[in-house]
Amino acid sequence: MTQALDVHERISEFGGAKAASQSATAELTTSKTARFVFAFGISFAILYTLFEQMNWPLFTYHPAVGKLDFWMQRARSGEGPGMYWYGWLALAFPCAALVGWVSTLVSSKWLYRATIFCCVLAILWSAIFAILVLTDGRTSFDTDLVKSMGWWSAIPGLVGALVISYFVPLQLAQRLFTSWLLIMPIGGLIILGYSLKSFFLR
Amino acid sequence: MEFDFISVTTFWRILLFLHFVMAVALLAAVTLQLVAVLAPAPVAQPAGNFVDRIRAAPPRWYVAAIVILYVPTFLLGAWVYIKYRTYVRIPMEQTGHWWTVGSFEFKEHIVSMGMAMLPAYWYVWREPLSESFASLRKWLTIFLAVAVWYSFLVGHVANDFRGVGT
Repeated sequence: MTQALDVHERISEFGGAKAASQSATAELTTSKTARFVFAFGISFAILYTLFEQMNWPLFTYHPAVGKLDFWMQRARSGEGPGMYWYGWLALAFPCAALVGWVSTLVSSKWLYRATIFCCVLAILWSAIFAILVLTDGRTSFDTDLVKSMGWWSAIPGLVGALVISYFVPLQLAQRLFTSWLLIMPIGGLIILGYSLKSFFLR
Repeated sequence: MEFDFISVTTFWRILLFLHFVMAVALLAAVTLQLVAVLAPAPVAQPAGNFVDRIRAAPPRWYVAAIVILYVPTFLLGAWVYIKYRTYVRIPMEQTGHWWTVGSFEFKEHIVSMGMAMLPAYWYVWREPLSESFASLRKWLTIFLAVAVWYSFLVGHVANDFRGVGT
């Protein structure tokens, strides 16, 4: 009897989760606001991490002299340190807003597939790059090699993302859509945190 | 350099203090919401002590306060950050406080991610609450609470190094 109740409970829970997922999907299909806010959050996490890792700020601010330079500009002698954080934000926010706006224009099917593609690409690219760097001892002193590995690792990442986004069932892509909003920022923070290790290992 | 009626140092200290006050209010709001989300009081439970009343409060009450406080606290922090970069971080590096520098760098990232999550956070907490977003609502609330707590503690350590009252 207890077992029967347990099984019934589990089936109800499963049914409830499925119903909730379907309801979320319906809301995302109809509400442009929902699409925008989710696409904005997901894309910001990816873009901000990318811009920080590549050091692509829209501008560099030199606080000691109050100077602003377009794109990335190393600190010049006598001008104090350069600040890039504002530049990463200034690039990531409008780009994420643009992605959010585009997400309101495309069909649901395209939105889910494109989201899977971008998120899987971000994960695979980072993972392949991390494996290459950690397994090759030369990366500790050869920064040019690390840079080239960064670009080369994009190729298998791109192929993997294309294959997965093409073959993944649409229902699974729909169910995953809202989950990316947590997965991508946490993943981004892991990468960003790891890149700060030099501060903690001195 | 001095303004007409206030020294530059006092100006930055006022900004930092305002940032601190808003951060305390934000911290209170995210903590109360987190308690109400993670440990809600049973529906039939009568209002008891302070903790019971917090648990019984509907979590959505705090949403507007959190969004309204997060944005200006973030912007004010971004402004004060200019002073941190030149006046605080350089001496930190010179004296080898690398953990503090690294932790503060991570603060930049976590508050930025939190800022980008705010629109979705606001959306999933809109009335009427959608059952389909219940899990996401809970996790977004936890994420924001962690981001705010982390930032507050790290900011406080940086202030203790060189800031208001030091």
